[in-house]
Amino acid sequence: TVGRPGSTLGPRPKPENSITIAVSSRVLFNMEKEQQIFEQQGMEEYIKYQVEHETEPFSPGPAFSFVKALEAVNTQLRDLYPESEELFDVVLITNNHAYVGLRLINTINHHQLFIERFCMTGGNSPIGYLKAYNTNLYLSSDPVKVHEALGEGIAAATMFTPDKMTEVSETQLRVAFDGDAVLFSDESEQIYKAHGLDKFFEHEKAHENKPLDHGPLKGFLEVLGKLQKKFYAKGQRMDCPIRTYLVTARSAASSGARALKTLRLWGLEIDEALFLAGAPKGPILEKIRPHIFFDDQMFHVEGAAEMGTVACHVPYGIAQRVPEKKGLKDKEVSSIK
Amino acid sequence: MVSTVQNSDVKQKDEDQAVVVAVTFAAVFDAEAEDDRDVYRLGVALPLLQVLQRVNERLLEENPVEHQLFDIILITTETRQQQQSSSIINSTRHHGLEVGRFCFSSEDDFIESLAHNNVQLFLTTDGNEALQATQQGVPSALLDKNSASCPSDQLRVVLCQDATIQPNADSSGASKKSAQSFLTLLGQIRQKFGMFNSPLCFTIVTSCGGKDSCCSALKSLRSLGVSVDEAYCLGGAPRGPILSILRPHFLLSDGFSQLEG
Repeated sequence: TVGRPGSTLGPRPKPENSITIAVSSRVLFNMEKEQQIFEQQGMEEYIKYQVEHETEPFSPGPAFSFVKALEAVNTQLRDLYPESEELFDVVLITNNHAYVGLRLINTINHHQLFIERFCMTGGNSPIGYLKAYNTNLYLSSDPVKVHEALGEGIAAATMFTPDKMTEVSETQLRVAFDGDAVLFSDESEQIYKAHGLDKFFEHEKAHENKPLDHGPLKGFLEVLGKLQKKFYAKGQRMDCPIRTYLVTARSAASSGARALKTLRLWGLEIDEALFLAGAPKGPILEKIRPHIFFDDQMFHVEGAAEMGTVACHVPYGIAQRVPEKKGLKDKEVSSIK
Repeated sequence: MVSTVQNSDVKQKDEDQAVVVAVTFAAVFDAEAEDDRDVYRLGVALPLLQVLQRVNERLLEENPVEHQLFDIILITTETRQQQQSSSIINSTRHHGLEVGRFCFSSEDDFIESLAHNNVQLFLTTDGNEALQATQQGVPSALLDKNSASCPSDQLRVVLCQDATIQPNADSSGASKKSAQSFLTLLGQIRQKFGMFNSPLCFTIVTSCGGKDSCCSALKSLRSLGVSVDEAYCLGGAPRGPILSILRPHFLLSDGFSQLEG
């Protein structure tokens, strides 16, 4: 049976077939007010407030439009492949006690989200659950949990709320990735930090044909690519409901080739590759309007968020250990002739 | 003929307010293994006995004159066991188990003893015994080798909802009612502790039903005074993985009148 919009009784995909996206309550919904009450007045007041407002839905958080876009892709996939279980499956994760969770369920219903799986851990870590149920991507506002998830091999990122949210497409899912330490490992960045920019260029040119090692979000790009191929097979290449972007500070003139060749060798296609040669990412992202953007450097995450893009930090690699030094990305500007 | 013997090593609990939990001989002890001194080795129920004791200790910490404590009785369900009464009493004392009294009954009359002793939860390793008890209105749970590896610092009660299980044709209104009153008692005990660091934890796992059936379960438990700590709505995913993470001491199932194996 095909799930109709508004229907909550569509067949549930099995975890091994579906693409599981776990989102925490604080990124799916705006719970700032409640968070403040918890921090300033303590647990009792927080619970009291939540229960008193149980029937009042939360307003959307930064992950909301991303989840809506996932559902739009599902609808289009079901039209083309009614029997397939290869769909996005969104799971809500919260640290809250189950009591408080009732307000979350009411909110899901109010916004007509197709979320049928959730995990209310009552204060325990959700990592065991994420591992047990084949989670493909985990988004949270808590960097500690994100770090833990990455450590267990789960693609994860800390999501921030932009100052303002630019309007995004309701029918085409757009996902933007940084390259080094997100799709790729941080091996090249390590060269720069250890030996400087010139050595980095030399190194990348010399190893142009050697693929980079994979980074924490390679797997997620891979599953997006798999779904894209399903649309292509039905003639929807030009207006595919999923579009992917590489937004990297590498330069097309020098270090970009290795990135593209690596992707090609992995059998992964990316729709648009933008080599910024160190220019800020905010403006280009504002034009692209992705539902979500992943970067390993807070500098870029903040820059993107300032201009209205929902940006997520992937706390992976050398940039986390040497945060004060500018990464190679910014130094490249001075070397461009 | 049933005989009941008090364990003089253990302070007796308040008859009216204690929550009586009966555990069978075969669950408490590893019946096959006796050491030279005629003392039975401990069986799969050990972590559960320890955790019930832990809850009692924490209750008394909160209120030194607390009367609503767990009262554990050891019950035999076979004639052969009934005849080993002195070994059983010795072994219990030897291991220092917090068993309040012993109920020496046989397969013919153990059900009667459960009623007679006002048992609110019956724990056994035998599926038939559990079924019989449930049918007679005593909430039961099945213990197995997994029970042996449960934590002993927090009592984990998992309520499993599975919309595809049809209510047992034999399950009576009475058994459902008694299961609910048992839950209510547990809920009262839970209320005596705060949100964090509680020695008792309630979890709901909804297997096949959607979030709305989980939602109504949360609400009906709330109306029984049961504050649920954790809830997992699996949306059709298998429950094995989450159960091995949760490590429940016992599972209560759909309508709380059926067994979990």
